[in-house]
Amino acid sequence: MMNYSEAELLAVLLSREVRDGEVSACGALSHIPAAGLLLAQATHAPNAELIILNSVFNPFRTSKQFHFLAQRGDLGLFFASGVQIDRHGNYNLHQIGPDPDHPQVRFPGGYGGGMIYYGARRTVVFRTEHTVRSLVEKVDYISACGSSPPDVLRYGNPTKVITPKAIFRFEKDVGTLQLDTIQPGYTMDEIRDCTGFDLGVNDDIAETPAPTEEELRALRVVVRTKMIDTGTYADWARKVLGADTAQIA
Amino acid sequence: MGVPYVPVVGLIGTDLLKRRDDMVIAIDPFDGKTKTVVAKALRPDVALFHVQTADRHGNVSCGYDAEVVMLAEASKHVIVTAERIVDRLTEKDAKGTFIPGIHVDAVVHAPFGAHPAGSVGLYAPDKVHMREYVVASKDDESFAAYLQKYVHGVTSHQQYVEQFVPLEWRDPVRAVGT
Repeated sequence: MMNYSEAELLAVLLSREVRDGEVSACGALSHIPAAGLLLAQATHAPNAELIILNSVFNPFRTSKQFHFLAQRGDLGLFFASGVQIDRHGNYNLHQIGPDPDHPQVRFPGGYGGGMIYYGARRTVVFRTEHTVRSLVEKVDYISACGSSPPDVLRYGNPTKVITPKAIFRFEKDVGTLQLDTIQPGYTMDEIRDCTGFDLGVNDDIAETPAPTEEELRALRVVVRTKMIDTGTYADWARKVLGADTAQIA
Repeated sequence: MGVPYVPVVGLIGTDLLKRRDDMVIAIDPFDGKTKTVVAKALRPDVALFHVQTADRHGNVSCGYDAEVVMLAEASKHVIVTAERIVDRLTEKDAKGTFIPGIHVDAVVHAPFGAHPAGSVGLYAPDKVHMREYVVASKDDESFAAYLQKYVHGVTSHQQYVEQFVPLEWRDPVRAVGT
């Protein structure tokens, strides 16, 4: 098996969520999703329409156009992240602390995520940290809400939560996350210990297919070059993607 | 814009919605059952923003694809600061977003008016100043000192430019009629 970093693993796992021919997007300050989108286009989804906000991969002239793309339900997939993610598929990008009027820490969260959670057909939430403080039973503040009553107009919902250790799928009917697969190298007990909510399963859980040689090569060569050439998180791509490319070449 | 409210798909169930009295849940008046959020319009008394070119009639060429046209439409009064003033500007001459003079109440000639931020194609953000700003933002005392130096301690825009805009940036940005 080839070695890979956590960032590379996440980029590969996110890329697998992209469907060919669909419009897929990520926001600003989204290094890993940007790499994941470009990787999908370089591998299984050559006709994917990509939107990476604040980069050259954005067909729109104003953010109003992106807003209404999501509002119409024309966005197929969106990659989001939160400081906390809870069992009900809610995520928190606003603030930490029990008293909402006096947060201990304030994050940049605002309006966009809570809107896109309804507009995008699928939202995949990712988190680079999988611990009991990031995957919690209940978020301190709901920035984006996983479920809504049937009489509410909604085009899509969260479908997965992806971390370096596991993949959860969102069960829409019951409105909760269920452990789907475990990333190579981790055990059920480890996942149980680092997750702040009930995993919703007892049985053996399958292992996530490891990044393939083809995926890693495309990420470290094609995607890395494209990100550097287009100034899309170029410094990050230079540093993180294929740090050991020389060894695999 | 300037419409009374706008429907928004999303946000229901969030704490943001709970804490905002300018966004409420409403039933679709056409089908009588589907729920969405409606957001109350912002109607600013005055909007103030910086552009690249403006004329005597208030026609504005932003110089890039700006969202400020929405701000201009929504606000009761609009004051524009501009890098340069020209005699006559039409939609055809505009670079980027054009805002017709009908929205604009006043135009002020203010070269380097975006400083320490940048103005696309003319000058980049002043990174040295930006770093100073970020450091000063850490607490009230240092920020008060920043404001004293750059805002309260300056008597005119011209004095600000002479004192704080890097000398090598100051190509003649000419204004017709000034």
